[in-house]
Formats: sequence, C-alpha cells, structure tokens
Amino acid sequence: MLYNKCESLPKGTVFFQRDLTKLAIAEDSNELLTILQDLVERQLMKLMTFDGEACWKLRPREEAEKLRKLTPDERLLYTFIDSAKTEGIWTKALRARTNFTAQRLNKGLKSLESKDLVQSVMSVKHPSRKMYLLAHLTPSEEIAGGPWQSEGEFDTALIEIVSRLVEQAIQKDTCVTVPPNYNPYTHTDPATTGSKRRRTSTSIPDIEDTHTLTVQQPPSSKRHKPALVLSAEPKPSTATTLLDAIVSMRVVKDKTIRESDMEQLLDMMVLENRIEKVGNAYRLVMKPKEERDEGLNGFVDAPCGTCPVFDVCGNRGEITARTCVYYGEWAGTESEVVK
Amino acid sequence: MSYAQRETPILAELCELLVEDVYGELAARVFSVLARHGRQTLSALNKASYLNSRQIKHGLVVLIQQHLVFHSAAVEPEPASYEIDWQQSYALIRYGRCLKQVEERYGAQAANVMSNLITLGHTRVKDLREAYFPTRPRDGDESDDEGINSSKKSAANGSLFVNGHAETNGVAPAKVNGVKRSHPDEEEEEAHPEEEKVIGSVAELDSVIYNLMLQGWIMKVEWNQYLGPTDLHAMAGSEAMGAQPPEGTKAKQLLELGILSRKREIRNEWTTVPKPRTRKRTAADGDISRSNKRQRIGGSDWAPRGDEVIVLDDNLAIRVNPEKVTVALRTDTLVRIVRQLIGSVPAKVYETMLRQIETHTSRCYDEWADPTPVDPSVESNQEIESGELVSAREVAKNIDPNIDLFEGLDPHAIILLTSSYSSSTSSEVDAKGVIDPPINPFTLDLEAKTRIVDRHIQRLADHPFHFATWHSRAGYSQWHIRWQDLIPSLIQHEIETTVSAGNASYQKFGVKLLRALKKKGKLDERSMGIVLMMPANEIRSVVNGLTVRGFVQTQEIPRVERREAKHSLHLIWFDTQRAREKLLQETYKGMVRALQRLQFEREKVKVLLEKAERSDVVGQEERWLGKGELEALRLWKGVERKLLLQVMRMDEVVGVLRDFCGPLVTP
Repeated sequence: MLYNKCESLPKGTVFFQRDLTKLAIAEDSNELLTILQDLVERQLMKLMTFDGEACWKLRPREEAEKLRKLTPDERLLYTFIDSAKTEGIWTKALRARTNFTAQRLNKGLKSLESKDLVQSVMSVKHPSRKMYLLAHLTPSEEIAGGPWQSEGEFDTALIEIVSRLVEQAIQKDTCVTVPPNYNPYTHTDPATTGSKRRRTSTSIPDIEDTHTLTVQQPPSSKRHKPALVLSAEPKPSTATTLLDAIVSMRVVKDKTIRESDMEQLLDMMVLENRIEKVGNAYRLVMKPKEERDEGLNGFVDAPCGTCPVFDVCGNRGEITARTCVYYGEWAGTESEVVK
Repeated sequence: MSYAQRETPILAELCELLVEDVYGELAARVFSVLARHGRQTLSALNKASYLNSRQIKHGLVVLIQQHLVFHSAAVEPEPASYEIDWQQSYALIRYGRCLKQVEERYGAQAANVMSNLITLGHTRVKDLREAYFPTRPRDGDESDDEGINSSKKSAANGSLFVNGHAETNGVAPAKVNGVKRSHPDEEEEEAHPEEEKVIGSVAELDSVIYNLMLQGWIMKVEWNQYLGPTDLHAMAGSEAMGAQPPEGTKAKQLLELGILSRKREIRNEWTTVPKPRTRKRTAADGDISRSNKRQRIGGSDWAPRGDEVIVLDDNLAIRVNPEKVTVALRTDTLVRIVRQLIGSVPAKVYETMLRQIETHTSRCYDEWADPTPVDPSVESNQEIESGELVSAREVAKNIDPNIDLFEGLDPHAIILLTSSYSSSTSSEVDAKGVIDPPINPFTLDLEAKTRIVDRHIQRLADHPFHFATWHSRAGYSQWHIRWQDLIPSLIQHEIETTVSAGNASYQKFGVKLLRALKKKGKLDERSMGIVLMMPANEIRSVVNGLTVRGFVQTQEIPRVERREAKHSLHLIWFDTQRAREKLLQETYKGMVRALQRLQFEREKVKVLLEKAERSDVVGQEERWLGKGELEALRLWKGVERKLLLQVMRMDEVVGVLRDFCGPLVTP
C-alpha cells in the first residue's frame, strides 16, 4: 500500500507528512500516522527529523528483513552507527553512548558486520581508532583521507602515476628541447683567431693554450643528445594549472582532487627533489647530465662514506685502514689479512 | 671557547698524522703530547713525554715557526704555556690547495712565493730574499707531499734567468699605464701567455709579496697572533674593561661588546698592509707594473707611480693568511656545486662573480661579530658594501671569452637577448629548434653579452639555494650573495648527499625524510606519513637507520602524568647543527683512514720507493728499474694520487661543514 506507492518514487526520497497525505492512501492523518508507525516498526521505513519536522525514508525490503531479525542490542548499535552517517563512529564513543560492556559491544558489532549492515574503517586522522559506519556508505574524507589514500593507506601506485604526469605537464609548460646543433655558427671569428695569433707569437707552449682549445669544443655528449633547457617564457605551472591538467587527463576516477590535495602532492615532490618551487610556480629539477660522473662529495666517494662498519673501525683491532677490504677494492690493492 | 678551536680526539689524530707527514716525527711527538694533555708549560711537557728537553725544544720551535701552537710568553711572565692551534694544524692539509688557488688567481710567480712562504713558515722579508737570490742549490726538501714541490723547483731554477727576463718586458709599462682597466681577472687572462714562472729581481719579489698582501693572502706576523683564544680574550678583556670591573648586566653586556670590537681591531691590524718605501725604477727591475696596477684595485689609497718600485721593510715578518685561503676554498666549492646542480656555464659565470668579490672579502664569517640584532628589519636594512656587489656587465667583461655562453639557454631567449646586436640579420628559430642564421657566441658585443650573462645569473638566483640575490639595476643588473642563507643550504646539501649515498631505501626516502623534517620541524609518525605521502611503517626503518647514524633524533613527550609509551608523543626531528657536527667528525675520521691507508700502501712498496728515490735513479727510472718495478711504481703513484685526491675532496666537505659559517642556531 503506502510502502509500494512510495517505492515507485525515486530512490532515497524523503517524505514529509504532507507528501504522504498527498498520496491519498490513508483516510486521515491519524490513520496515516498509524500506518507509518507500523512501517517503522517493521523497519521498512526510517524515521528522521528535518528542521524539527518529522520525515520518513524508505528502506529496501531485504535490509528491513535483516533489521527485523536483530537483537535489541544490535538494533541500538545500529541506530547509533546510522546516526553517525559517513563520518563513522568510534568504538569507544559507541561504548560511552550505549553503556555496554566491551564484550557485549564487540559481539553486537561483529554480528552486525557479518550481516553486512555496517563496515569498519581505519581513521586516517587517528590510525588507532576503528570507526564504524553503515555498509552502503562511502567513508567521508575526514576518516578516509584525500584522493591519494584508499582504505586508510596512501595509494602509492596512484601517487606515482599522477606525479609522473605532473612532471610531464610541468616539462611541457616550462621547458624546451634544444637540438644538439641548435646554433651552427662557424668558427671563423676575429676574436678567437686574434688571440690565437697572439699566443703563437709569444711561442711559449703554454698549458693555457691547450686548455682554452678544449673549452671551445664542447663535450661530445652535448653534441649528440638534444638538451632540455628552461624555456625563455615559461607558462607558470602553479597548483591550479597543474590540477586542471591532471583533471583533464581523466586519470583519477571517482575521486575529486581539490587544490589543497594538489599542493600536498607538489610539496611532496619538492621533498623528493623532483621539482622545485620558484615563487609560486613549480619547475623541474634539472641536473646537468654530463657532470653526474663527478661524484657526490669527497666523503661518500671514499670507502668510508658508505662503510657499514665505519663505527667499529679503529686504529687497531680487526677493522682498521690496513685491513679494510673496501679500501682494497677501491684502490685496487691488497689489504692486510687478519689472522 | 672559540668555535674554531674545538678539538676532538679524531681531529687530534688527523692533525698528528698531518704534522708527522709534513714536519717529521720529532715535531709530531711533541704535538701529540700537547694534543693529549692540552695546555702545558715546558716543564710539564718534559714530564709528560719521554723526550729530553732539547728534543722538545727543537720540536716546539718547528711548531711555533709554523704557527701550529699558541704560546703565552707575551702575557705570562712566568713559564709560558703552550697550546695547539687546531685550526692552523688542520690547515696543513690545505697548503697544496692554497698554492693552486694562488696560481690560478695571480699566476705562477705568486704561487712560487707562496710555496716558499709555506715551506719556511713565517719569515722575514729579508730571509725570503735570501732564499731567492743568493742562488744556493736547494736540496729538494720534500717535506710536503701535497704537490707543492713542482712549483718550488721552478723557483730554484728560475732565479738563473734574471737578466734576460728584464729586457724582454722593458717596453711594457707605457702601454699598461695608458689603458686603465680595473679588473684583475681580465688581466689575468691577458697576462697569462707572457707571464713567466721566474721571479726576476728583488724588486719583483717585493712587488709580488706586496700585491699578495694587498689582496689579503699574506699578512704580517704579530706577537699577539701567538696568543691562544683564552689569552687573547683575557687581554682584550683587560684592555676593554678600564679601571673597574663592570657592575650590573648592562655594563657587562657593554664589556662583551667592547671585547669583541677590541678583538676585531687586533685582527684587522694583522692584515693592514704597511706602506712600503719606493725607489726609482731602474732598468734591471723589469716590468712589474702589472701587479702595481692591481694594487689600485685592491682598495688601497696609495699605489706606486709607474716609474717606482716597492721596497718592503727588511724586517717585516710575513705569513700566509689562513682566512683568505678559506675564502678561496669557498669560491672553489661553490663553483663545483653550481656546476653539479645547474651547469658548467653558470658555474663559470659564478666563478667570475665570486673571484671579484673575493678581493674584498677577508674572511668567510666574522667569529667576533657583534651579536645580530633581534629585530630582523634592522638586519635587512643593513647597507651592503660596494665590494660585495657584482654587476652583470662586470662579469661579461671579465669572463673567459672562450666559453659558449649560449649553452643551456632557450634558443628563443638567445635571439631575444642578442636581437639589437644582430638586428640587420634577425635570426629565427625554425621548426627543428635551430637558430637560423646562427649567431656566433664568441663575437657578441658587450651589451648582448651582458644580457646573456644576466640570464645565467638569474638562473643562479632562481635556484632554491639562491646563489645570488638581486640588488639594483646598476651595470645592467647588480647582484650580491646572501651568505647567511646560502651556506646553511650548502650544509644541508652536503648532509643530504651523504645520506643519499647509503643503500637504496636511504636514497629514496632518507633524503625526502630529512627535507621534510627540515621544512616542518618536529613530526610524529602519522604526520610524517602524511607529509611524505607514504605509509608510516615504510618510513620506520629509514628513521631507525638515520637515528643510528646520528642524523635524526627522536623524542618522547608524555601526554599524561604517568609516562606510558601509549600515551606519549613520539617525535622525530632533525637539527642541522647536530647533523653538521656529526658529519664533520665522520669526515675527519674518513680523512684519518685515508691517510692511514696511504701509510700502509707506502709501507708495502717501501723497498721499491727507497730505490726509486735514490739520487742516481731519479730521472732515469727506465734505466735502473726493472719492468716489474716500473709497473709497481706506476701502480703506487696511481694509488697515492687517488688517495690524496680523496683527502682533498674530503677537505672540501670539511670546508662546507666547518669553515664557511659559524654555529647554526635552530630557530
């Protein structure tokens, strides 16, 4: 009757008393209220309040079936969990509200969970808290974290993909690729030949001469590979523009990324030394390729800098500079053998 | 206690090795006694060691001559006490580098003088002249194996060519005086080909020394340089105090300031250059006006006229100024780091900038500076001295003309910046990104070059380290360097580099973690995870590793009265100063190990080396040594070079960590 009529309406509709009267099923408001009372008791309808006014919502039949079979304890828990909506409710808070013993509470929650009525979620804010919410709800951002997290953990794969895309977007905006022979000038300029002539006239074979000659011919590696350099007029890539780029790529589905989320990701990438912040905009960290083989610093390039037994290495004893196998390997010499 | 005078067992060990290496066993024995027992009188020294008093005195003389120990003879009438100058003792390692720096900047002549000055310790000018001019055969006293010998030898040979040299350059002065260019670096470039390694005459020697003094590389020897930090403080204190000890906090603060300013006065007195006498130039003096001209640039209000030469006081005692060596080391290190982080062309530009500033910088930081005002606005309003400013135009003038300045720039920008220069043939970038028609980077006029250089400096300034800071529009754009911000970034960079050299997880997360902590301050595990966007348990092992290595600290703060682990906050934090100290000590240890390994390697080929160093074998190795021996010798040379190079590079790390700025205070 009333239930069927309501069911035909779009799902999730909230009915106020005046809506229900319009359906013209009950004779008068008193009868309507009795019917509603009956439905609520059979768990087919849910009583709610909106702006101080009573209103009702339908429950699917199967769910109602399950609910009817609940013990009073479970029903009580269910109502509390339901009222917490997507925010979820902490077990401790549940206990405080219901005054149940821990045992009783756990038993109730477990059976609710096994009936697929509620779910438990780890809170992102307080990882030790177990939050309960209804099974059909998706946890709110408060407890599930932003778009980078799923089930309370950071989605490393997603983060990796998005950050790569961000890098590409920044590169597109701020960099230009320069071909190796971008400036095919000829080497017949008066300045260099002039100075060369002067040098030869002094006829002193100077180290400087050979030195300057090598400078004129840039390292061959640069001649072969196109170089990536900062563009003259870079488009500023800020959190906003990058967010637009990522959204338009449609890689992140069914999650909305806000600007603050984007900033979080970009900050993290700055920490990873992949991009750097210049003013408000971001740009790629570009290390000159040909200088990589120069090593890191004096300390870590020596065996000691990365030595696993550095702290126990002494002037005498089993591990010393004389017996060091790492030094032997590094310098290509033999070390003393410990007897 | 003075920040630079801190001493740790590992530093003591390192310095002992260095002293033994350079000045032999006796000096090293005395040094080690002092290192173990601290400040000692002569009789206490006698008691503490097995050496007899004659030996101790001999050892001490060497150490004093080289300024490796302080002594209080000047202020204590009773038996003077001796104390090690750790800073100077460590500086032994920088001698080789110092010579290279001088040679790069002022040519071979200056390096030659420096090398002699280093070998002799502090010297009177008279003695130095003695060393050069009665050409006595120098018995190659190979006391220093840091590679200074090559130039020393040339010194001995050089003095034979006195006359010929003077004649060749006789015509030069008129030309040089006519053209007034005010940039030492440029002259360096121009002067190089004709510069010779010989010191021609006494006058030339004097002029080289005088020039180096003006540039701050050589300073006077004063009695109060021998006072240890404590004695110096006491002396400055008694001079600043006046008749009565101060009463009340205000007066005490004033006294503190007085002591600091008195110390600065004393120190500045060391580096003021005495006004030398001059005499008329004679034909034998040769061309030394090149260096004269530099003196004018050096900020001195007095310089000899073109036809005069400088005559230094015979009894003027001089020594190398270690602070200047550190300044030059800072330049070199920064240039290397820029080359690694940004590229070789900006590095060259930066080098040109820094060399220019160097002339006006006598030290990296002032140990005795007045405490910084609490109000930050006062600091920002501080005037920057003109010597600390460099304009793009000056750099464009002085930079090595053989560098392709276009490299690393966007072709579009190149065209834009050089457009006025090549207005007749306006170039364009075609679809492949090739400039058409091409622009020759070596024939730019100064205007275009300035603009290109400015673009490179902007790249330096844009880097997160802010290698340069814009100051004004003078000379196209004028820049200065905010050392107080730059150097901590360098320290951080050095620490990060060290961490990243560890295993894979350090490489990936360690640096990230450090940067996060540096940026955010103390964090607990959960917020750590959010900042790093990583699950907390993945970070845990990295945090552990870094804590064990001493780079990261952990802290537990109870939230309730009972200290329960469950109810406590567990914070992770990172203090740059701590990590800096830790890494510094580790680097010292690394250097000790490298030097010990060198000793060990030398022991292994001892017999061979003895043979190769025999006077009849040197120079004729092929004839007297077997094939296997030659091969072994070659291998040993390779190992030696590799190890020494590594020590020098570790010294660079020490420079960054210790010498470029004072202790950092975490805000």
